[in-house]
Formats: sequence, structure tokens, C-alpha cells
Amino acid sequence: MKRSLLPILCCPTCKGDLVLSVVEEDESEILEGSLYCSACGVSYPITEGIPDLLPRKKNI
Amino acid sequence: MSPDQVYPPREDTYLLARAAISEAGESDFVLEVGTGSGYIARSLQESGIRVLATDINPHAVKAARSEGLDVVRTDLFMGIRGPFDLVVFNPPYLPTRAEERIDDWLECALDGGPDGRSVIRQFAEEVSGHLSPGGRVLILVSSVTGFEEVMALFRKQGFQVDIYQKERVYDEDLVVLKCSMKTGG
Repeated sequence: MKRSLLPILCCPTCKGDLVLSVVEEDESEILEGSLYCSACGVSYPITEGIPDLLPRKKNI
Repeated sequence: MSPDQVYPPREDTYLLARAAISEAGESDFVLEVGTGSGYIARSLQESGIRVLATDINPHAVKAARSEGLDVVRTDLFMGIRGPFDLVVFNPPYLPTRAEERIDDWLECALDGGPDGRSVIRQFAEEVSGHLSPGGRVLILVSSVTGFEEVMALFRKQGFQVDIYQKERVYDEDLVVLKCSMKTGG
């Protein structure tokens, strides 16, 4: 996903802001990483460039 | 990837793609909900339109990304804020009884619940919160699903609803509805 998408996305559960963590990035976009909702304590993965914003349980 | 788990472009896809290209302005930011193969979003992107594509189906998001699209996996508007100038949706609209369900990913692209309007109903309730002022919605509806009933769902949410395009395909009429927020209301 491109960094410019971040303000357009939100936590699927509480609709709050997400914090981006990057593991792998090329010149145009983030390939691996996560989007973290601090209110819910849930991390949503970015895998092969695709953020997965389906609701999920709190991380351990 | 499992292509047989992704809805392939068909007549309904092509009709909605033509409507979307005709409706989208060059400075519009477009959201395509339930992009499937990514055909419509890619058609828009190739026309120079900025577009974000979503789908709940993990095979579909991979297919759409391989078409060079910006893709998010989510359920309707769950992880999506916006705002968008145009939202395009070819929804699952086939009336499906519980005992007919087969529970695979392709079914997500087809199953509209008992009256065919379950997903459309939820979409209609949520979409206005993701539109910019003057934002519009293009949604494909089949005669199988009921034009008047679907138009009523959007009118109830304060939209002005017009038939944008219409096409007969075998024994089914397909229309693209354009839903615009009434201004000053």
C-alpha cells in the first residue's frame, strides 16, 4: 500500500486512527508491515502490499 | 491464487465499467467496493482516474493487486474512511436461501441473502458517510433483485436516484443506478 492511503484508512472496529509500521518497503509502497490501532490493541497486517482490515481479536 | 474463487468480468462488469468511466471526473477519487478481478477499477485507473479497490475475498484482493491497483482487504466500509467523490459497487445480488449456500469465496460475490438485497441494504446505509460533498454512487442492479426496491433503499438514505444505464442480458435486465446526495437538504 502507498503511504498516501494511511489517512483514508481506519480501524474496522472502532474507526480510530492506525499507526503504520513498515517491515519492507520499495520506492513506491509498503510491501510488508502492519497498521496498529492503539485503542483496540489490535495490529492489522500488511502482506504482499495488501492491508487486511477485517476485524480481528486483540494481539497477545 | 485461485482464479475460480474470484468473480470473472461479465456483462454486468462491463456495463458498470462503462458507466464508471463516463461518470468519473479526472480529479475524482474513486472507491470500488467489492472489486473482484479488479476489472472496473483497472479500467478507471487506465483512464487516469485515482482509484482504491476493496474486497473481502483474499483471492480477489490478490488478483486486483496483480492488476496494479491500490487494494485493501475489508468488508464494505469497515476499514475505510474516505472521503470519495465516487463510489462504485457491483454487489452480490442473487437471492440465496440459507440451504443454497455453499460457503466458498466466490459465493461472497453472488449471495445477496434471501431477497438479494442484504448487502445492498447495508451498503446504502453506510455509503453516505464516505462521500465528499457532491459525491455520487454508481451501483449495478439486476431485475432479479428488484429495481424499485433498491431505489427505495437509497431514497430512504436521502439520495436522489436515477437510472444511469440499462441493458438487457438474456432474461435479465441490468441497470446502473446513480445515487446523488440531495444538496441543501
